Amino acid sequence: MTPVAVSLTSLLSFSGLACLCLSMDRHGRTLFHGRPSPRRDRAFRVAGWLFIALAFAAAVTTADWNFGPVQWLGSLTGAALFVVALMSYRPAWIRPAAIAALPLAIAIAFFV
Amino acid sequence: MKHGFRQSMAWLHTWAGLITGWVMFAVFVTGTATYYKSDISLWMRPELRAQAEYDVVRAAELGVAHLKVHAPKAMAWFVGMPQPDKPYIGAYWMVTPDGEFGKALLNPDTGAPTEARATQGGDFFYRFHFELQMLPALGRWIVGICAMVLLVALISGIVTHRRIFADFFTFRRSKSAQRGWLDAHNVTGVLALPFHLMITYTGIVSLALMYMPWGMVSAYKGDELRFYVESGQMPTWRAAEGKPAEPAPLGPIIRRAQAEVSEPLEMVSINNPGDANATVVAVFEEPHGLAHRHPQIAFHAVTGEVVERTGPLKPAAHAYTSFVGLHEAHFAGPALRILFFLSGLMGCAAIATGLVLWTVARAPKGVVRLAPGWRLVHALNIGTILGLPIGMAALFLANRLVPVEWAARESWEGGVFFGSWLLAALIPLARPHRRAWSEMSYVAALLFLAVPPVDWVRMGWRTDFLGFDAAMVALALVFLFGARRLGRHEGQRREATRTTGDLARA
Repeated sequence: MTPVAVSLTSLLSFSGLACLCLSMDRHGRTLFHGRPSPRRDRAFRVAGWLFIALAFAAAVTTADWNFGPVQWLGSLTGAALFVVALMSYRPAWIRPAAIAALPLAIAIAFFV
Repeated sequence: MKHGFRQSMAWLHTWAGLITGWVMFAVFVTGTATYYKSDISLWMRPELRAQAEYDVVRAAELGVAHLKVHAPKAMAWFVGMPQPDKPYIGAYWMVTPDGEFGKALLNPDTGAPTEARATQGGDFFYRFHFELQMLPALGRWIVGICAMVLLVALISGIVTHRRIFADFFTFRRSKSAQRGWLDAHNVTGVLALPFHLMITYTGIVSLALMYMPWGMVSAYKGDELRFYVESGQMPTWRAAEGKPAEPAPLGPIIRRAQAEVSEPLEMVSINNPGDANATVVAVFEEPHGLAHRHPQIAFHAVTGEVVERTGPLKPAAHAYTSFVGLHEAHFAGPALRILFFLSGLMGCAAIATGLVLWTVARAPKGVVRLAPGWRLVHALNIGTILGLPIGMAALFLANRLVPVEWAARESWEGGVFFGSWLLAALIPLARPHRRAWSEMSYVAALLFLAVPPVDWVRMGWRTDFLGFDAAMVALALVFLFGARRLGRHEGQRREATRTTGDLARA
């Protein structure tokens, strides 16, 4: 339950929720100019849930079954708030931020 | 059902939320602050300096020596061990079981009372959080009833909100004012929903034995202490014999207790001190786990023999203490604590936006006389949502400005808190209701911004409080941002009225 573990879970949660956000019609449209693509949406949705599941796995391995779920839910809340803030104030940043979060998460995973 | 299920739930959500919103906002704000209770306490007692290590045996002996002189007739003594976030020996004593209680903070090196100013520290917000600084029983009942109604409001809110998933990430701040407030209410409510449900439910559960004592009362028939003993939460209370006896030295007892438990010693309590049948109880910190449970070993104070160890908790007690543990989050390290704090802030924001939404949705259109009910809600909204933070900032300022030597200094701090809260709630009544929001928000920003410089002037600059100063500046920025946004909305509205007025005249 070190800060390192919490940031790992938070980064994965952030990437996952950002993907889910981009998979949604309303938000995807503001970012991907052009026609909607069901295949792209599905890819984002699958990636989104995958990262959220990875975040859960990371939380449970680092903080065990009693604190893991607490840490996971807390990270999801914080990450979701960040996604909403980016989406309404700096929508263009959300894709680079979600992509940047992944290598950062991998780098951090070595310190856990 | 006349209106259909969802509309009934919407009605329930609106009114359950409105009537409990003001109390619950105050409970959420002070509860969120309590996640940093020990940091607030350290800041409010700037005279105390933390050491890295403490000699607990010596601390216990110094505490007992003080209590022997100052509370010889007490039925129990409690000596809290000094720790880095509590750099003093806490000497407490209980004269009667129902209430009469004394306390003294002692210097861990000398055992003399500390030079720390008289203040409740972070405990002020902690106690307010569940007792509203009223008579404890009354405050707990009010908070409990409001929390139960809030739980109803939460669940009816989930039913009412048709587009939880479709609107999950949606915050349309540039649309109409009502749309913006509704989105803000939904986002802060939904994104932290697991926290909101958990904290409201576990909060009620933590006082459940007070709200629903009948099971315990009928099973234990006036011997309720035995309930806590049998569920593994405390050792048996051994009655006094009535004959005085010289107690065994504390040092060996404490060292024996420490050899059995790996957690740090938190407190030593002595029941019936000075009696031939006195008991020394060593209370340890919570082991790392969800449950809020302190291992305890009881010794015969005269012979020094172990008389009892609290065993593992029974399943129901384990569930109960886990709920309480989850509520208090003592297990949370710095990073997880930030997430709990953030979720708490989102709870405050969800309640505040819900309250504001009630008035925005019913805002008078054009030039009509304001309905008394609307005015009342509006006044209470400003008075609570901005009045409470103003009171808190004023409390911090009072902590630095009220002279240290004043008698009843502690009450002065509380008086400043409630006085400025009341003032902040009354002033907006005399102001145009549209401008009151941004004006009071500027006041809150200014007061929070004043805390760090006032601290530097009174106490000199030091690096220990950088985090606290940063929190004050961050709060000031939030209120500054709020004031500007609220002001801008007003500006636009005034502009719009003027244009329509011009058109009408033309």
